[in-house]
Amino acid sequence: MAEADATATIAAEPGGAGSQAKSEGLFGAVKSSLAGIIVLAVVGAVSSVIPFIAIVELARTLLPTIDGAPVDADRVWLIVLVAAVALILSFATAFLSGVVGHFADAELQHSLRKRIIRHLQRLPLGWFDQRNSGSMRKLVENDVVALHQLVAHSIQDVLTAITVPVISLVYLFIVDWRMALAALVPLLLVLLIYPLMMRGASEKYRQYDAATQALSGATVEFVQGIAVVKRFGQVGRSHRRYRNATGEYSRFVGEWTRETAVLFTIVELLVSPIVVLAWLLTAAVWLVANGGASPVDVLPGLLLGLGLTAPLMKLGSSGQFLRNAAKAQESLTAFFALPPVTQPETPQMPEGHDVGFDDVAFSYDGEHRVLHEIAASCAPGTVTALVGASGSGKSTLAKLVPRFYDVDAGGVEIGGADVRQVAPGELYRHVGFVFQDVQLLHTSLRDNIRLARPAATEDDVEAAARAAQIHDRILRFERGYDAVVGEDANLSGGEAQRVTIARALLADALVLVLDEATAFADPDSEASIQHALSTLAADRTVLVIAHRLHRITSADQILVLDDGHIIERGTHPELVASGGRFAAMWADYQANHARSLPEGVQP
Amino acid sequence: MIRRLLHYCSPRARHLVIAELSLVVVAALLQGIAFLLLVPLLRSLFIGDLNAASTWLIAVAATAVGYVVASWFASQIGMQASTAVLDSLLERLGDSVVSLPVAWFSTDRTGLVTGLATQGAMFVSTMPYAILRQILAGFIAPATVLVGMYFFDWRLALAMTVMVPIIAIGYRWLSRRIGRGDHAHSLAVAEASNRVVEFARAQPALRTAGESSIADRLVEEALEHQHKEYRGLLITGGAGIAIFAGLVQLSITVLLVVGAFLAVGGTVDIATLIALLVLGVRFNEPIVAAGELGGGVAVAKTTIDRLDELAVVPRLSEPEHPATPADFDVEFQGVTFGYGGDPVLRDLSFIAPASGMTAIVGPSGSGKTTITKLIARFYDPEAGTVCIGGVPVPELGTDVVAAAVAPVFQDVYLFDDTILNNIWIGDPDLSRDEVIAAATRARVEEIVARLPGGWDARVGEGGSNLSGGERQRVSIARALLKDAPVVLLDEATSALDIGNEIAIGEAIDQIRADRTLIVVAHRLQTIMTADQIIMLDGEGGIREAGGHAELLAQGGAYARYWRERVDAAGWKLSRHD
Repeated sequence: MAEADATATIAAEPGGAGSQAKSEGLFGAVKSSLAGIIVLAVVGAVSSVIPFIAIVELARTLLPTIDGAPVDADRVWLIVLVAAVALILSFATAFLSGVVGHFADAELQHSLRKRIIRHLQRLPLGWFDQRNSGSMRKLVENDVVALHQLVAHSIQDVLTAITVPVISLVYLFIVDWRMALAALVPLLLVLLIYPLMMRGASEKYRQYDAATQALSGATVEFVQGIAVVKRFGQVGRSHRRYRNATGEYSRFVGEWTRETAVLFTIVELLVSPIVVLAWLLTAAVWLVANGGASPVDVLPGLLLGLGLTAPLMKLGSSGQFLRNAAKAQESLTAFFALPPVTQPETPQMPEGHDVGFDDVAFSYDGEHRVLHEIAASCAPGTVTALVGASGSGKSTLAKLVPRFYDVDAGGVEIGGADVRQVAPGELYRHVGFVFQDVQLLHTSLRDNIRLARPAATEDDVEAAARAAQIHDRILRFERGYDAVVGEDANLSGGEAQRVTIARALLADALVLVLDEATAFADPDSEASIQHALSTLAADRTVLVIAHRLHRITSADQILVLDDGHIIERGTHPELVASGGRFAAMWADYQANHARSLPEGVQP
Repeated sequence: MIRRLLHYCSPRARHLVIAELSLVVVAALLQGIAFLLLVPLLRSLFIGDLNAASTWLIAVAATAVGYVVASWFASQIGMQASTAVLDSLLERLGDSVVSLPVAWFSTDRTGLVTGLATQGAMFVSTMPYAILRQILAGFIAPATVLVGMYFFDWRLALAMTVMVPIIAIGYRWLSRRIGRGDHAHSLAVAEASNRVVEFARAQPALRTAGESSIADRLVEEALEHQHKEYRGLLITGGAGIAIFAGLVQLSITVLLVVGAFLAVGGTVDIATLIALLVLGVRFNEPIVAAGELGGGVAVAKTTIDRLDELAVVPRLSEPEHPATPADFDVEFQGVTFGYGGDPVLRDLSFIAPASGMTAIVGPSGSGKTTITKLIARFYDPEAGTVCIGGVPVPELGTDVVAAAVAPVFQDVYLFDDTILNNIWIGDPDLSRDEVIAAATRARVEEIVARLPGGWDARVGEGGSNLSGGERQRVSIARALLKDAPVVLLDEATSALDIGNEIAIGEAIDQIRADRTLIVVAHRLQTIMTADQIIMLDGEGGIREAGGHAELLAQGGAYARYWRERVDAAGWKLSRHD
């Protein structure tokens, strides 16, 4: 109710109804409230007409007294009573219908958000690699809220817009069909002009969305670029780009309003109470003068005729919201339709912790293979390094083990069991991973470390933090392990990285996938991270995505990837000796690396 | 509210809004008058005086024509006003943001400003037409009728008037309550969506935790809280609207009862009574609708509140007559500074001589980057002075500092433009060939070589088509082009590949030749070759300072740091570590 209905853009469309059927699934939570909203809205609409009829009856009862007839007091009071009751009833039911609708909407929003959370938990991890937080925010914030209009307002608005005119017209036709026809005229005019007004509107709305998008992009650039640009003495530049975008935006909005303004104003004036009043009065006076109607018979036409178009106009002005709701519905439906990770019907248990790639092929889009016929095995307790240029597929291959993605052909096995046949809970007990993106939650450091094992004791958490070389740093916070990330626990990149390593240590998975680049998150804590990584890697089956070749000279196995194929494999000495691709990479690397280090430091 | 809105309008927008609202008032008055004319018209109709009825009908028609004309212009001007207000708001927002100190941008303000520019400005700009117009009409027309009623029957008019102050109080109370609830609610919404975004971002980590983990609890609590706040908002808002609409209904009932009482007593003109009842019942809807729109005004008010808040963010002081620095030494004299909390730097003093390279090293959080930000005047120190060429920075003023200092920070932001144009910013007066030559010196051509489109390849939003190290190389090229006497460089830590490291190293060699170069150094090569190394102690002060060889020979903290870094550089990952 804090939202201002009928505000934003001036033109509107009655759309949205067509898309209602396909999203049955979204509205499950509010089905039970629907009957309540409908009954209350109809009762409210019907009883809102009664006071007008009561006034007509009052006039019928009282007008004879002008000519000296006695007042029928009982009847007067009865009519007043009926009118008062109807007033209260119409107000109360319309209000209650709104209340039920709004609370149903609250439940709907809540249940949808919870459903989004549940669905997120079941999506393949790879999905999150490609999403930015903006689209997530839009889903839970804007899209869910956009449905508001549908549940909280539209049902009531539509019912009122239909019920009030229908009841009024039926009554009017009974009393005096000529006044009824007169009252019908503005209604018909609106129905005729409205489609005209809406012509090309959906195209305009698309352009409007594009214009808003452009403005939003320019503003993001303006704000994010300003810190840099300001210090370059070039403030005018970012400002000019922003001003160009805003100018473009308001020019578009201006043009659009100008285009729709004339027709819109005409419709609005045609149905404005004053114009309708003048028209109905003309008809009424003419009928009394020339049509032999009695004044009391034209009174209902006057009273009710004035109220026919208002509900329809209200419906029209909420079109913008309905349009948003329909779009939101689409994106929510699309989100819920995303296929979750498949669950095995008869889950297998990994036995041991060796990792095997069995002729794996994979593509992100189902068409362009980025991995071909990958066959390899990693024995328990060994380090396997994945090497290759960026785009060679080494990160993708590593991410198949913790099931960020599922293979197109072949299989990834852990302890002899295909990862797709292992229950997810079981899988992640066996496979841990530390990648470059640090995922700390806005909660205490303790909870961040024991994320995977909430039952871990104080001592366990501390031991993991010590092993990850972060314990001392944590104790430097006033609240120690209770310090909250993002509040009092301000960690550098490297420190945050060590917290995630502590987390992985505590999770104690025997298969570990890690990115060697983690160590560069913070050069000043590089040594600490390295210690932590070494501790983490000890006695586990390790797959490491390697960037700096000298880091992996003692790996048990190096897989050299090129364009999605394993082109060479072996230990460092073997590969160097064979004089193939790796040997060339190594020579090149050594030359460059020596240059990047100060003299006297051995690579 | 209207005055606050006009404050943010250009003169043209202001005139348009005032003209629009004046016409709206005129139209509403005419609307009230037309309805009042209904009383004599109905009366003459009821007593059968058709001549009089026709005369009154002509009066109604004339008023209606006046109304149509006023409304027509109100809406034509109103639409122009909306656009003009929109443009003014966006312009004022831009001016306000541009004048904010850089410090303000240190927390992410993108969401706030984008929200204001898109939904906020649009909502406020349509408010005069979409909301204020209806509110004005909803109150002025009935008020006109009410005043006019005294001419027909003062007792019925009085019965209605009694309710006016009550309705007015109810209305004020309603808008205030909705505004307050809305604020608490939007906080809860922000918290909940942050939690959901976090929940999505941390999914890889959370899979290990399984369902019903700590994160599940956090996100669910936030959702529950949001749900509770929303229900609370519905209850306060709903109760407010119920009370307000109830009061309006009550006043109609009072009119009905008083009218019936007078009618039964035979002391009222029946035709007038009927006409007045018609008016009373008819006007109930627009008043209630206007009341509900009060919430819209409250929402618009939050946007204006935000703009007001931006306007009062303290700006850095600027000198009337900016001084000129004698040379380009950079000196810290007893500088103390913190970001609102504990000082990051305490009583820090040092000199970075011109034409020399000063490397700053130290543990994370020791204030290395803060030093560069103070030199670039993102902030002014709490105590002590930062001088360039012997002149305190506040006496130089932001413009002089901006001209003298070229910063290359870690969070390099590139415009969604071509790679060349992003470098060109450094000195727009140079020719394309000169820019390319300079960029080639910073080895940007290596990056360009791999991009389709070469120098004219677009870098993507924020430079997203380039890696962190590559962005920094572009930024260095820009700084080289600018040719400022003081260069601040916060070395990239994400420069993964060796190629970037080497390119940045070479660029540093070019810069340091004849400029004051201050580097927050991570690369061993950079640190070792600096003319002066300042090692911070992590408590706001300097632990050791001097040349590399000198400090190594001292065998103190720096020597230990150096050994550790060199060891780290030789680290290998193996299972037998």
